[in-house]
Amino acid sequence: MTTSSSKQIDPAFLKSIEGKQSLSKIWVGSLIILLVLGLVALVYQIVKGHEVTGMRDNVVWGVYIINFIFFVGLSYSGAFISGILHFFETPWKNAVMRIVEIVTVLSLVVGPIFILLCIGRLDRLHYLFIYPRIQSPITWDVIAIITDLIGCFIYLYLTFIPDFAILRDKEDLEVSDKRKNIYRFLAMNYQDTPEQRAILKKITRTMSAMIIAMAIVAYTVLAWIFSLTLQPGWNSTIFAPYFIIAGLYSGVGFIIICMYLVRKYMHLEHYIRKIHFVGAGIVLLVMSLLFGYFTFSEYFQRWFSHKIHDMNLLDTLFDEYFLEFVLANYIGVLVPVVILFFKRLRTIKSITFAAVIAVLGLWLNRYLIVVPTLETPYLPIQDTRPEFLHYTATWVEWALTLAGVAGFCLMFTLLLRFVPAIPISEMMEGQNKKNNGHRAKKADS
Amino acid sequence: MRNTVKIQILSLLVLALFLPWQAIAQDFDLKAYRLRFKLETTKNADGSRTLDASFVGQNKKDRKDRLPVHQAEVVFLNTHEDEEVELGKVNTDETGTAQLTLPSDQNYLTDEEGYIEFVARFEGTKEIKKKEADLKVKDLFLEIQAEEIDSVKTVVVRAFALDSTNQRVPQDDVDLRISVRGMLSDFIVEEGSTEDGIFEIEFPDDIPGDVNGDFTMVAFVEGSDDYGNVEYTLDSDWGVFDDVPQKEKNELWTEVAPMWMYVILTIMLVGVWANYLYTIINIRKIKRLGS
Repeated sequence: MTTSSSKQIDPAFLKSIEGKQSLSKIWVGSLIILLVLGLVALVYQIVKGHEVTGMRDNVVWGVYIINFIFFVGLSYSGAFISGILHFFETPWKNAVMRIVEIVTVLSLVVGPIFILLCIGRLDRLHYLFIYPRIQSPITWDVIAIITDLIGCFIYLYLTFIPDFAILRDKEDLEVSDKRKNIYRFLAMNYQDTPEQRAILKKITRTMSAMIIAMAIVAYTVLAWIFSLTLQPGWNSTIFAPYFIIAGLYSGVGFIIICMYLVRKYMHLEHYIRKIHFVGAGIVLLVMSLLFGYFTFSEYFQRWFSHKIHDMNLLDTLFDEYFLEFVLANYIGVLVPVVILFFKRLRTIKSITFAAVIAVLGLWLNRYLIVVPTLETPYLPIQDTRPEFLHYTATWVEWALTLAGVAGFCLMFTLLLRFVPAIPISEMMEGQNKKNNGHRAKKADS
Repeated sequence: MRNTVKIQILSLLVLALFLPWQAIAQDFDLKAYRLRFKLETTKNADGSRTLDASFVGQNKKDRKDRLPVHQAEVVFLNTHEDEEVELGKVNTDETGTAQLTLPSDQNYLTDEEGYIEFVARFEGTKEIKKKEADLKVKDLFLEIQAEEIDSVKTVVVRAFALDSTNQRVPQDDVDLRISVRGMLSDFIVEEGSTEDGIFEIEFPDDIPGDVNGDFTMVAFVEGSDDYGNVEYTLDSDWGVFDDVPQKEKNELWTEVAPMWMYVILTIMLVGVWANYLYTIINIRKIKRLGS
């Protein structure tokens, strides 16, 4: 039994794999330029030390940590959404499943790189593994990220196996022999037999449940890195669920953006349809309401309790960071809510626009969580030079941030040349079920 | 032979690398320093007496810059009017201190009031002028009596001098402190002055001692114009034995985490990684079924 060589596969799926789709050289070139710029900044930072960043004695965490939280949040929310879609066998999962899975793994690859950029003494990194303190949330985070990364890779691979088998068996697929050999190796002799299908379904289902749990645990641990300290603005009991909701908010937004881009540039309008955008948009609406609720609770409680250090933090937020505060917590929540709440406004473009606003707002929200808290410490430091008290990211940090984003986009682009953007096997299975249903109806009549 | 010489020269060169360059390069301008030559005396608990001469230069512009005069020969004398008795000669150490300890049975020249005059003298060199410091002290005796009076631990310190007939003469207004000897510094229990030669205190009953509950009680007169430094000690068993600290439990702030953390972490990791293993085994099974 072969998987599909004889079956019809929509050529739209295979265009990018066969390299027939015009992969904009300008796009890839721009990404490579950004990566090179990031490399220059990295070398400069390594040679000169962290002095070239805006991080100082007070503000020891800057955009690197913000990017780390942001990307890891994308990954965990991707894992969560992917697990939910798979576990509950959501009807419209096929259109977005692959995009979600790729976002999950790639952001979990890119995110931790920012942590490495933030560490002053990289030569001591291995101490984390040689002298771990089980009591430390940092150790928990290291364990959680590594475990989650491996879990996500395994899960991603499981969902790829049937497609690898289809690509292996498709004799007229116009790819190199080397690539075919890779498909053959990765397909693991999968022939879509009932036994194989049953085993694959079982382990994929188990892994999907597992990564939902792992996403919650891992992002909770990340939130605890902040909330288990006594710092004003971080020491909060709702920080872990707040982080999870925020992660899901940005994750859903980011997936919508990816859906839009993949749909537009890979010409998959027939598969990624308005209904998918509306479904994802409604999830984004729910998340934006939840995120707004958590944000309001967080700040309202601090304002009402009127503790000195909390008030100092709120003063900083409402004074020096007022514009950012409004953009992150008002515009970043209210604009998506308004767009997604009214049925008439729910078009593909407007939903994507709402998603862009949500993602940018979330990044800014992360900035407001990290930086103003560090700028208002419990004890003032002795050296009160303005650049020591206030953080401003330097070109090095921005260059490396852009390089991280470029790296993500480049890997995403290249991965979609290797595997179909939409799981072919799932689409074909769905089509077969539909055909069988029609045949059964005809036979009955 | 030539090789031996070469090896010796090379060895010297290597050794020279380890010499602090400041030892060679640093040159002090003595004019920038004001030389201070001071003399102090301490009567020790065993009746012996220590004479300390301190010879230190202090930068005129920077008071924190102190330069000890090393290896300066100091002569200690006991004088009375024109009579001088040499007690000993000592060179200053790297801190600029020359210390001489005299035995408890040392005889001293005294004046009519019983004051002993000590002189420390540095004869001078080409670079440093002659220096001299003197000090007049009365030979003070301290005595500690520790006893429980009506279940109250009471310490009585008697301060007295001896007249020419060796009769005790109680000394009034002697400022002294009672302390308990510690490993790094003494723990002060009470400070005060004598009245009719007596200083009496109620001693606390919660002072920690060694494993046997012993400690050393110290009566100390510090920097008195009339007596210099005088110390007297008494071993006491009034201390409270503090239990040896228990071995630290597994806590958040100790080196080892609470046990439940290890248990939870192990369960979680084993659960997750076992599932990974199970998945990988099944992937291999899929491969086997297809071949």
